[in-house]
Amino acid sequence: MSERLELQPIDEFRFRIPRSVERGMRTDVVVYSSRKLIEQIRKDQSLDQAVNVAALPGIVGPSLAMPDIHQGYGFPIGGVAALDWRQGVVSPGGVGFDINCGVRLARTSVSLDEARPKLRDLVNQVFRDIPCGTGGEGPVTLEKDELNRVLTDGAASMVERGYGEPRDIEFSEERGCLVNADPEKVSDRAKTRGRCQLGTIGSGNHFLEVQYVEQIHDTRAARALNIEKNQIVVLVHCGSRGLGHQVCTDYLAQMGEAMKKYGISIPDRQLACVPIQSPEGQSYLAAMRAAANFAWANRQAILHFLRGAFRRIFGSETKLDLMYDVCHNIAKHERHEVDGATLEVLVHRKGATRAFPAGHPELPEAYRETGQPVLVPGSMGTASWILAGGEQSMRETFGSVCHGAGRLLSRTAAKKGRNAAEVKSQLEKQGIIVRSETRDGILEEIPEAYKDVDEVIDVVHRAGLAYKVARLRPLGVIKG
Amino acid sequence: MFEVLEHPADVGFRATGASLPELFESAAEALASIVLDPQNVRPATSVVLTAQGDSNESLLVNWLSEVLYWLDGERFATRSFKVRALDSVHLIAEAKGERRDRARHETRLVVKGITYHQLKIENHGDRWVCEVYLDV
Repeated sequence: MSERLELQPIDEFRFRIPRSVERGMRTDVVVYSSRKLIEQIRKDQSLDQAVNVAALPGIVGPSLAMPDIHQGYGFPIGGVAALDWRQGVVSPGGVGFDINCGVRLARTSVSLDEARPKLRDLVNQVFRDIPCGTGGEGPVTLEKDELNRVLTDGAASMVERGYGEPRDIEFSEERGCLVNADPEKVSDRAKTRGRCQLGTIGSGNHFLEVQYVEQIHDTRAARALNIEKNQIVVLVHCGSRGLGHQVCTDYLAQMGEAMKKYGISIPDRQLACVPIQSPEGQSYLAAMRAAANFAWANRQAILHFLRGAFRRIFGSETKLDLMYDVCHNIAKHERHEVDGATLEVLVHRKGATRAFPAGHPELPEAYRETGQPVLVPGSMGTASWILAGGEQSMRETFGSVCHGAGRLLSRTAAKKGRNAAEVKSQLEKQGIIVRSETRDGILEEIPEAYKDVDEVIDVVHRAGLAYKVARLRPLGVIKG
Repeated sequence: MFEVLEHPADVGFRATGASLPELFESAAEALASIVLDPQNVRPATSVVLTAQGDSNESLLVNWLSEVLYWLDGERFATRSFKVRALDSVHLIAEAKGERRDRARHETRLVVKGITYHQLKIENHGDRWVCEVYLDV
């Protein structure tokens, strides 16, 4: 438990754990939170994990904790750490098993009034067309050379094969592809695990939601993002499936050995790391990029099948445009200003979203004055948010913010005393239709299992890391 | 013998065995039963599983990663495990089961990976105990 750690308030939304508290800390921990959230955060080990991250060789700036932080493995979920590109280390645990787990949001030409009477048909159609993949194969199966192309080119490889529209590429972080990915660094086992899983959502906290725009908070930004009140949107939360999981497994096993060679000692084996510039570090990054590209291809395939499902229900003229796609489990080579100098760093975002502000050259032209859209899914049945990157994110958090609501209850605690049919019928009373491939999928993700997403969003908004654009409410939920 | 443990975000288990090989077998059974319902799995075919590690801990994580690969990558539903050889760095085992069939083998959870988080292996005389957390 992190309750013993000394937390110094910096202001209303910022807290510091000074580097003096633990031996081995090379830097401070800065936590973005509120007085209410911080009490919940202190109940698990997440802040201890942020302290462990502060001990990584080559860390630049503080070890950062977002308001949705909760206990993970090695790194906390909701943690951000920048490591010096030349002197620092890379840690597969700082990315996680689900490499490029992320969120994609499509806006549609359908309104809430049009959707309501056909909602059940729509949810059933989407559930048929986009499997969660818990039972096996997905709708796209690739031969080995085709898979290598996906690993190299990401979302664009799917668009070329007819799974999408050329404009989709423009509206994705990194245009849906990290360069310098190397399929040769991805094991045959990883390829076997992922080969049949393109176009599937997965299980755990992954889902697909049909939502409507409940409230616009920033009219100018909403106009730039082309969204309006009561518009139907679809939010997809998933990642690189078994392929990414196996890449992480493979490299964690290798790094345990390699760390001895480089004389690195760490407080938690799950934080296994090697120098970024070592052969092992470069191999991991080349494989991680390939897995990230697989995840973008996966979300691209899902968008394609989603278009088919919507057109079957609402007519062939129905439009689904990709608004944006963000990753929240990734390590990225970026340049940031630190103490007046421009540094090359590897930003580990483990359950954290990039949030570049207005004017950043990596944003699509249409969003250049708005800032990067940040998509924050809430828990099933509550709300999700569209934010846009704020100025402070570049000054304080290496251009990063939160990624979700943050878990509060364990899966076992969530299931205790509840049954799936009751939860389903409660949600239906609120106008939310839920379909799940597994019995426990619904129970483990009940709204009560998560922190209040609005509280999390308030912190990042008021701290200036990102600003509120729109709040979204679910109508249909598909879960693994 | 095993029981499921709580974790704020994910899931873990505590497994026991009268010897180290038995511990590895019950840990594999725990993982398999978290992934799917093993009741209707027929021991139709057997496959050889191997793992390596530089300590009991890394051998256990790598062994469970091997089991997970067969469950998720090879789509092989496991019914039982028998450790055939085990020394300080290698493990060879036999798993019995059949191809996963969604109609007969209910999927419970998709496990992403085996973690070192709070990993424990303890020997209490005639009883071995391990605790393992899984990313789901």
